[in-house]
Amino acid sequence: EFIEAQENKEGVRFSWNVWPSNRIEATRMVVPVAATYTPLKKRDDLPPICYEPLKCTQMQCGAILNPLCQVDFRAKIWVCCFCFQRNPFPSSYASISEQSQPAELFSTFSTIEYTLMRQQNLPPIFLFVMDTCVDEEELGALRESITMSLSLMPATALVGLITFGRHVHVHVLAKEVMRKQYVFPGAKDQTAKTVQEYLGVGLRTTAQAQQMPGQAAPAPQPGQMNNRFLQPVQECEITLQDILADLRRDPWPVMTGKRSLRASGAALSIAIGLLEACYPNTGARILTFLGGACSYGPGMVVDDDLRKPIRSHHDIEKDNCQYMKKAIKFYEGLAKRVSDNGHIVDLYACALDQVGLHEMKYCANFTGGHMVLGDSFNSSLFRSTFQRVFARDEKNNLEMAFNATLEVKTSRELKIAGALGPCVSAHEKGPNVAEMEIGIGNTTKWKLCGLTPNTTMSIFFEVANQQGSDVPGGRGHVQFITRYQHSSGQTRIRVTTVARNWADAQTGQHSIALGFDQEAAAVLMARLAVHRSETDQDGTDVLRWVDRMLIRLCQKFGEFTPNDPNSYRFQDNFTMYPQFMFHLRRSQFLQVFNNSPDETSFYRCMLNRESVSECLTMIQPVLYSYSFSGLEAVMLDTSSIQPDRILLLDTFFLVLIFLGETMAAWKKQGYQEQEEYASFKELLQVPVDDAQDIIANRFPIPRYVETEQGGSQARFLLSKVNPSQTHNNAMYGGSAIPDPNSTDGGAPVLTDDVSLQVFMEHLKKLAVTTNA
Amino acid sequence: SVTRDGWNKGWGTHQIDLLQHRQVVPPGGIVPPKPVLAQEYLPNCSPDIFRCTLTKVPENKNVLQKSKLPFGLLIHPFRDLEHLPVVSCNTIVRCRSCRTYINPFVVFKGDRRWECNLCFRVNELPEEFQYDPVSRTYGDPSRRPEVREATIEFIAPQEYMLRPPQPATYLWVLDVTRQAVDTGYLKVVCDVLISHLDKIPGDRRTMIGFITFSSSVHFYLMGEDQKNVQMLEVGEVEDMFIPNPEDLLVNLDQSRNLVEDFLTTLPDAHAASCHTQSALGAALQAAFKLMSPIGGRITVMTTTLPTVGPGALKPREDPNQRASKDIQNMGPATDFYKKLALDCSGQQIAVDLFALNSQYVDLATLSGVSKFSGGCIHHFPNFHVARNPASHAPFVSCLSRYITRKIGFEAVMRIRATRGLAITNFHGSFFVRSTDLLSLPNINPDAGFGMQVNIEEPLHNIRTACFQAALLYTSSKGERRIRVHTLCLPVSPNQHEIVTAADQEAVVGMLAKMAVDRCLTSSLSDARDALVNATVDALMAYRCGLSHPAHGTLDAPPTLQLLPLLVLAVMKSVAFRGGLSTKLDDRLFTMCQLKSLPLRQMLTHVYPDLYPVHAMSEKGALDIDDQIIPQPGRLHLSAERLERCGAYLMDAGNTIFLYIRCGISSAWVEATLGVPSYAVIPQPLFEDPLPELDTTESQMLRNFVAHIQRSKPYPAPIVVLKEDNPARMLFIQHLVDDRTEGSHSYVEFLQFLKSQVK
Ligand SMILES: [Zn+2]
Ligand SMILES: [Zn+2]
Repeated sequence: EFIEAQENKEGVRFSWNVWPSNRIEATRMVVPVAATYTPLKKRDDLPPICYEPLKCTQMQCGAILNPLCQVDFRAKIWVCCFCFQRNPFPSSYASISEQSQPAELFSTFSTIEYTLMRQQNLPPIFLFVMDTCVDEEELGALRESITMSLSLMPATALVGLITFGRHVHVHVLAKEVMRKQYVFPGAKDQTAKTVQEYLGVGLRTTAQAQQMPGQAAPAPQPGQMNNRFLQPVQECEITLQDILADLRRDPWPVMTGKRSLRASGAALSIAIGLLEACYPNTGARILTFLGGACSYGPGMVVDDDLRKPIRSHHDIEKDNCQYMKKAIKFYEGLAKRVSDNGHIVDLYACALDQVGLHEMKYCANFTGGHMVLGDSFNSSLFRSTFQRVFARDEKNNLEMAFNATLEVKTSRELKIAGALGPCVSAHEKGPNVAEMEIGIGNTTKWKLCGLTPNTTMSIFFEVANQQGSDVPGGRGHVQFITRYQHSSGQTRIRVTTVARNWADAQTGQHSIALGFDQEAAAVLMARLAVHRSETDQDGTDVLRWVDRMLIRLCQKFGEFTPNDPNSYRFQDNFTMYPQFMFHLRRSQFLQVFNNSPDETSFYRCMLNRESVSECLTMIQPVLYSYSFSGLEAVMLDTSSIQPDRILLLDTFFLVLIFLGETMAAWKKQGYQEQEEYASFKELLQVPVDDAQDIIANRFPIPRYVETEQGGSQARFLLSKVNPSQTHNNAMYGGSAIPDPNSTDGGAPVLTDDVSLQVFMEHLKKLAVTTNA
Repeated sequence: SVTRDGWNKGWGTHQIDLLQHRQVVPPGGIVPPKPVLAQEYLPNCSPDIFRCTLTKVPENKNVLQKSKLPFGLLIHPFRDLEHLPVVSCNTIVRCRSCRTYINPFVVFKGDRRWECNLCFRVNELPEEFQYDPVSRTYGDPSRRPEVREATIEFIAPQEYMLRPPQPATYLWVLDVTRQAVDTGYLKVVCDVLISHLDKIPGDRRTMIGFITFSSSVHFYLMGEDQKNVQMLEVGEVEDMFIPNPEDLLVNLDQSRNLVEDFLTTLPDAHAASCHTQSALGAALQAAFKLMSPIGGRITVMTTTLPTVGPGALKPREDPNQRASKDIQNMGPATDFYKKLALDCSGQQIAVDLFALNSQYVDLATLSGVSKFSGGCIHHFPNFHVARNPASHAPFVSCLSRYITRKIGFEAVMRIRATRGLAITNFHGSFFVRSTDLLSLPNINPDAGFGMQVNIEEPLHNIRTACFQAALLYTSSKGERRIRVHTLCLPVSPNQHEIVTAADQEAVVGMLAKMAVDRCLTSSLSDARDALVNATVDALMAYRCGLSHPAHGTLDAPPTLQLLPLLVLAVMKSVAFRGGLSTKLDDRLFTMCQLKSLPLRQMLTHVYPDLYPVHAMSEKGALDIDDQIIPQPGRLHLSAERLERCGAYLMDAGNTIFLYIRCGISSAWVEATLGVPSYAVIPQPLFEDPLPELDTTESQMLRNFVAHIQRSKPYPAPIVVLKEDNPARMLFIQHLVDDRTEGSHSYVEFLQFLKSQVK
């Protein structure tokens, strides 16, 4: 309950809610001290505060005044809870007293948000980057979606349009004498400088100013034309619609047996260069629509020979990818640039084949941009997902935030090892940077170019206290400071300050264990595992690492008699954790071979940014059963598949309704149409409604499947459930091969995976083995 | 003796002492000598089209060398003609051996055979040739137009086509740098073009396209199904590419509305241009790529030195050296433009260059793009609509002519000569494909060519020598046509006969072309020396041939009496002059003109026609179509000919000056210009046309001017200049008989020649 309350209030969850008092102890706990933090978690109760936060005046500290600070109302002094610096209140706080405290001192406002009124209000910027190497139908759908999105934007938002095929076209949206596009060759990578030069944007350089002395004619400054490409939607909507209406498929002829030449890389690079020149460090979103893989110029992932398919995981494993490494280098470089500028790159990929997300993912991952994977721009899945990008909150503001930084302050005993999430390092070193690096480390500050209310970061800590030294104060503090551009254009700072107890050196073990948040821990470990596989590119090692960590955790926190597996007992708040790890091992996050590299990138991207509960759904999908006896959550296990049940499976990416054999048969016979079976009709409808509820709140929109026992799409369910009953059971001493006609035995699953039961038995055996 | 003189005069063989006889310009104008053939009835090629420096061909090399005259041909092959016989037949009759077209100078051997007048092979006559298309009867082959006309055009049958004839295709490449936009030329071009859209030669297949450039290159999408013209700007000039595979060159008929829209909006679209750099080279590369699949004409207008991208150039002119004796940097700085021209030529593309610059653009280098692709070059220095209003009218006039004049595409011109004669050197704009074949991706009616001829074998036992020029081209209507000109000249073994049969205008024309080459291969002073030496040598050779040369005279035959005067004028031309500050581009442009203008126009530039017009009368006037055209008589170009109370008309080619001296009678001013007196004539006054006043003076002057204009490819604007206007230098500078800084007067030049001729 404490955990839930904390998450609701602060958006923070720690893997350990009681911290070990020294470094050695901390390393023995296997799962690091870490937090998940949702910076923009929706908080309806936050008061509007329109002044600047008070900062600790200690040079290297800079923490913000919060309810955990001690305040001397008479002396008008506050003591920083991080560095213990005594800070005088400024004159604007002259009237404070015990009775009249500013909001930031209320304990209910351990999370508080400041709006900086002095900062300029900035309209959001949306730059569309559109693939034209698609067929007419796709182009039409894309045109409609973009046109639709114009009506969803604030009228002051700036929009821009870049289209690409073999070449890259930057469209002028300002009203000018002649409609105009700037064309860049798709084959060539442009530097920021050439993009600016060719487009005549950015600051006028001295070289330009010096040329042509004595020219009488007053030439307009190139700087004045900055906005030709990015215009307020209220002013250019008609022009833009005209351009979209006239937009045709890439006109370059494509020979049979060839792919279109598609210069996605160059297009993205130019989009980035344009915003870099005109609006550095201002909230902007580059919406990239990809109808296929980059096949031309920089960042190409496949060539135009149709006989050569795009790389698969097998090709990657065999190091048999001609273009991948170079492309990755290119997109990673772009991602660094764009994140430096504070801009977001969204990747909307709709194609039957891969489009190269595996290579391009950096652009979305570094910037918090959306990654959407679909079959067609003409699908409702894409349309609704894209519409949701422009969702508004109850105050009618877009549910997106821009150009944020997240800074973390810690008590002296706690150091920052790193972070994982849709971010890059802001390269701010401080005394509280840990020696050990976990995730993106060596900094106390990260850049999040794009944020949604769901965006959830993971921050890893290191206990710095040496063995034997005292734990001061009994509590440690962590402050999260998020500065961002609100979609209304305001600059805001959200501050969350939390405290956790240090464990007593002697008796701490028990309370530490009690403070274990197995859900947060599972998500943190899953992100770490994915991070390891992304950086090592070696799946099997990561599986071993996951196993090893699990076994060590079990050894540390289980109760057992050495070498007696049957004696093993978990503490209550550890029981789910091995199950999460079991599912993680089997998940698409670590088992890549059933998916394309693009899909893997997409799944991992979502795992790395969603909230704890959504991530848990990804790791261990949720299964609900609907029957005449009611609704219940059931085990993700083959035994849950029963003829008289309707199952609702939610894997985050997919929502599936599965009719058990009997249910399917009844439906086929049309009982639901008959009045006397209204309750059946109702039963059929409930999971459908529930599924819609899930879908309505998720981004990107999950795939929705309705199927039944024996249906071809039932494989989506069968691949997720624990194979408790397979033909392998016999080998593990289970019962005989189950009778498929048996009414209570569940449906058999054919898989070579070990079942959860087997997994647990192995785990216990290894955990109790003394020299494991 | 008087009798002898009379005799000689009658035969055109009398001699003139130039020192005594200073009036050498005939008041009635110079009439080209006519080759004298035994068969006088034979129609020879018009001297306006085809002429030889010698109207008698030396029998052998030795005779030629002794005459000290250049032997060469000047041809104006695509000249606008009022009367041009066109023949359409299944078989074009040609010599089986040398491929000469049958012509008036062949010899028929009975009704069925003919002897080639170039190689002397006897050929069969096809049945069809017996047919007389006029009377529609069979019989005497000599009635055929092929043997009755020295200039004729054939509509070519299928076998003359390597590919289907190309559609008339025009691509405009326009400078839109800040400097260019400032001159206001863009609107002029667009306006002229829009008003002449219907007169662009072509048919339903005609294609048109536009490229503009500054530091980047801009293309214009004008596909017929589009609502608006769209500009595509390409900044990547180092590696030029075409941004769209279609709709950049469009069918004029189908995209007519868009083209008009485009021309209306283009000036505004670039009004705010702030780019001062020029990527001309890249624009040309783009134009080449765009035109390659079809071929056609690229028209380039530039005001600026190309400074970025491929073909970028550096300013090479030192303004302090403009008057020096030897001029540097007359050759190209890079072969980029020449190479591009050769690429163009290979794809049947010609590049025409219009330079409207006020600063150095390096015509020495840029001109290569036209020279080697068969294009033409125009130069409008200091063009500016507001600051230099005088530049406006000539440009408009030239451009209108340029847009509407006839054009031939994918052309080749072959020059054949009687066996023993060979072409050694060509002058003009073209690419020499083989010894006698010129590649002319475009041919226009204002292009002239020169060829030097060598006598390789003696022409023994031959009474006449012939030259035949055959121009094969695709008309703007997509027909393959061949225009054939045949020139026949008598052969003479006598040096004196050769000299007295010289065509002095053609000789000067040829010498000027050779001097331009000399400039480029050697130096300006060498070229000037060569001109002087050629004059000295010719006069000396003539003098040596005289039986009793007198002392203290500088003798010349009437056929060379103008030689010193015209050579002096050539040396004083912008191309060769020294001592006077001359911009390199102006010099280079004049050189281009000397190389490629038809002879008549070239001479008008070099030695303008000057007439007194203050006292014109009907005496000796011509009556053409009931119009009285006075003939005031040409004057030498000397200030001493200009009376204080006179008014003078000077036809300098592109401009006609009306120069009025201060003593002019107010009556004349009133009667011709409609203002009461000399004092109130507005200055400077650009009159086009002259005011139409109901006075005899006005009528006569206007008739006279109209008559002059008719002889030009396009009307020249008239500039009225008063004697006290500083702009009078525009007129005065043409008075080449007079002494100028660093150069002889005509009299001094004669004295100098005399000292050399011994
Ligand atoms: Zn502090
Ligand atoms: Zn012959």
